[in-house]
Amino acid sequence: MLFSIRIGAQAGAGVMVTGRMLAKCFTRGGYNVVGYPEYPSLVRGGHNVVQVTTGTNEIRSPPRRCEIVLALNRDAVFYHKDFVKKGGMIIYDKALDVSEFKVSKDIKMFAVPLEELIKKAGGTVRMKNTVALSCVLAMIEYPFDILAGVIEDEFRRKGDEIVKKNIAVAKEAYEYVKGTNGDVPYTMKPLSDKRKVLISGNEAIALGAVKGGMKFYSAYPMTPASSILHYLFANERKFNIVVKQTEDEIAAMNYTAGASFAGVRSMTGTSGGGFALMVEALGMAALAEAPIVAVLVQRIGPSTGMPTWTEQGDLRFALHASQGDFLRVILAPGDVEECFRLGFEAFNLAERYQLPVIIISDKFLGESVFSAERFDEKGLKVDRGKIVEKLPALEPNTRYKRYELAKDGVSPRVFPGTPNGMHVGTSYEHDETGFSTESFIMRTKQVDKRAAKIKGLLKDMPAPKLYGPKDADVTIMCWGSHKMPALDAVNILKMDGIKANVVHFSYLFPLDKDKVAKVLKGKKTVMVENNSTGQFTGMLKQYCDFKPDFLMLKYDGRQFFGRQIAEEVEKLVKSGFKGDKEIRIVEKEDLEYYNPQRHGL
Amino acid sequence: MAVTIKDLDVKEKIQWCPGCGNHALISSLKGAIAELNLPQHDTVIASGIGCSSKLPHYVNTYGFEGIHGRPLPVASAIKLANTKLTVIAVGGDGDGYGIGVQHFVHIMRRNYNLTYIVHDNQIYGLTTGQASPTSQLGMKTKTTPWGVIEEPFKPLAVAINGGATFVARGYAGDPVHLKELFKQAIQHQGFAFVDVFQPCVTFNKLNTYPWFQERVYKLEDHDVTDRWAALKKAYEDSETEYKKVPIGVFYKVDKPTYESQLPQIKKKTLVEQDIENIDITEAYKEFE
Repeated sequence: MLFSIRIGAQAGAGVMVTGRMLAKCFTRGGYNVVGYPEYPSLVRGGHNVVQVTTGTNEIRSPPRRCEIVLALNRDAVFYHKDFVKKGGMIIYDKALDVSEFKVSKDIKMFAVPLEELIKKAGGTVRMKNTVALSCVLAMIEYPFDILAGVIEDEFRRKGDEIVKKNIAVAKEAYEYVKGTNGDVPYTMKPLSDKRKVLISGNEAIALGAVKGGMKFYSAYPMTPASSILHYLFANERKFNIVVKQTEDEIAAMNYTAGASFAGVRSMTGTSGGGFALMVEALGMAALAEAPIVAVLVQRIGPSTGMPTWTEQGDLRFALHASQGDFLRVILAPGDVEECFRLGFEAFNLAERYQLPVIIISDKFLGESVFSAERFDEKGLKVDRGKIVEKLPALEPNTRYKRYELAKDGVSPRVFPGTPNGMHVGTSYEHDETGFSTESFIMRTKQVDKRAAKIKGLLKDMPAPKLYGPKDADVTIMCWGSHKMPALDAVNILKMDGIKANVVHFSYLFPLDKDKVAKVLKGKKTVMVENNSTGQFTGMLKQYCDFKPDFLMLKYDGRQFFGRQIAEEVEKLVKSGFKGDKEIRIVEKEDLEYYNPQRHGL
Repeated sequence: MAVTIKDLDVKEKIQWCPGCGNHALISSLKGAIAELNLPQHDTVIASGIGCSSKLPHYVNTYGFEGIHGRPLPVASAIKLANTKLTVIAVGGDGDGYGIGVQHFVHIMRRNYNLTYIVHDNQIYGLTTGQASPTSQLGMKTKTTPWGVIEEPFKPLAVAINGGATFVARGYAGDPVHLKELFKQAIQHQGFAFVDVFQPCVTFNKLNTYPWFQERVYKLEDHDVTDRWAALKKAYEDSETEYKKVPIGVFYKVDKPTYESQLPQIKKKTLVEQDIENIDITEAYKEFE
């Protein structure tokens, strides 16, 4: 059973919070949930929507259609009426005149007198979202107590009075809808009382980093990475960490490198535009061998692009950012579990090899919320790499050989405050003590030393992971967030009698040719990338001499839907793999939330 | 064990032009560190890029030579990571008032307990003689062949207005006075800023030692807690058409430092905190 609800309202009306509350109601009943927000780059005006999908099935990504639309303004009816499944329902505020919209006869229109109900229970207009939420839950006969608990937790910090009133208006609405026999063919009963976790990709990375001993985070606000900053700020005292909002991203990356030099695990986070400003200092961290972690939550580029929409278009940028040749690690979590794990592991890799680690995510994974079990901490162990704490006395007027020509490329670090460890961390090419040098021989040796790290590093980089049956008709390849729609596609294909599996990459660089070849050997492959040029496909060709049979691209602002992948793959399979080598997805149904006026709204 | 100036030397030869104001500046800084007896391993000097920014290589403490204009963010984070360290940031006028000016403006609002020294030679040296933000009106350089027509940046006025809690100006031609300024700056609890006139003997043919010698005088009978008096003094050089150029402490007030307001590092600095087996069980509550 799969059940999806869209809550739509004017931007600024608070549907993000309402959506998360609804999602939480379901995770508290033991359900799987995905909560996916869509919103334009506006604070007021424009249209916002959260789609909450739940059910007993494995659900990893939002479907393109829904069973119920909860319309808190007229625009919501307009925007979503064509995305309601047959037999579904649009619940809307009775005060809205929606008569001009042509809604299919197969969809039931259900008007709720939201304001009357609020008045009756002695509430205020601000409680409209709570009331609407309650209507949906009453409609599907989901227990009121669970909603009451969620309201209590959400509004607790606003005081008892607000909590009580919200519960009272919610109750009023719940009883009203119950009494009207909404007649929806869906009912939901809690599966168990074991609560699941409901968390966004951004929060999961932050939590993984905290577990991994991150003590310092510096960033400048930027959609869609800001929720990392918000989460860490809200909890900085609980976690004993220092979070710094800096004047810009240039400062953010320099702070991160500075804190690392001083000896703490440090991280920054941003999106493409901010990362562009960090690039110079990224190279500095690499040359000074100051381990840092940078989270790059992608959105549409180039430049300001479509700031609140998703894409996987910054991979090549992350790979090549900053001048000169230097080694870096790129990790791309595929779901919240991997966000947590890689958020932890990034620091081990950064410190073990003393280099920058970039965690590349995107708006879809970063800002959507997903149900999960409490994260598995098995095998997670802090490894700080080579650090010396005690040193013999130095000859007078000499310095510690911080950049000693170590065979494995990793020279022991020492932190300020350690006697006899004085040296200069530097952005210049340097000798073993960090003193600037322009010696041809030393330059070559230092480059080779840093590059030598790749040997150990490659051993630590796992092979891409295979999901599903080993012998399948077709293999869907993907990286990062697209693990989720790809796995959903496998389930859809299964129902249609097609045996598919997924090869997913979460360790994107450096790539081990042999490991990759082993997993992909003999497979009929379709690569799915959420960009317009197949950036990872190019990397695979370059580093692994591997070319997928087909490449499927989408770059309109949204991630692939599972069904979209399944439909294209099915076409390929049924045609005996005779289709175009490159498939570009162009949506037939358009939506544009930025400018409702354009649609006559 | 007392730290001596000799301890702070390095074997490598200092590579500044003979006669460069940086030589006096570095001697004054080493003198200040030695007289304050700051352990070498507990002192970090962070710099940007430029002639001035080579300084960390020539003082045997910990050092970090970053990128152009960015010594302040690096120094700030070092201080936040380990509040027990003495942190000194150095850079030039191009580095700090040009490419990196946003960091200068914002660090003053934060009042970290660290010292910022600007080697102000009113010219770009390492890139061979272009106008800097503090180049005087009318001065001819490679990028102002007909003379500077941009109003010079006024670092002291900006610092006094911007919230710096210690604002001073020194002159490399008076190294003893400069050393005392550095000592006061390092001892100041909060963000201490010292702009240092440091003649560039190779590229600045206007602001030379004789030029300064005629104009520089030491502030006396000046109330350092009076913001308006300090501002007036900060404008004195340009207002008198550079007949009088005051040096000394312009402004000094006590305010809580940024880091003293962070309860999470009261007991233990960030570097001292144990990061093995961090328990995050409590964190799940808000997600369930």
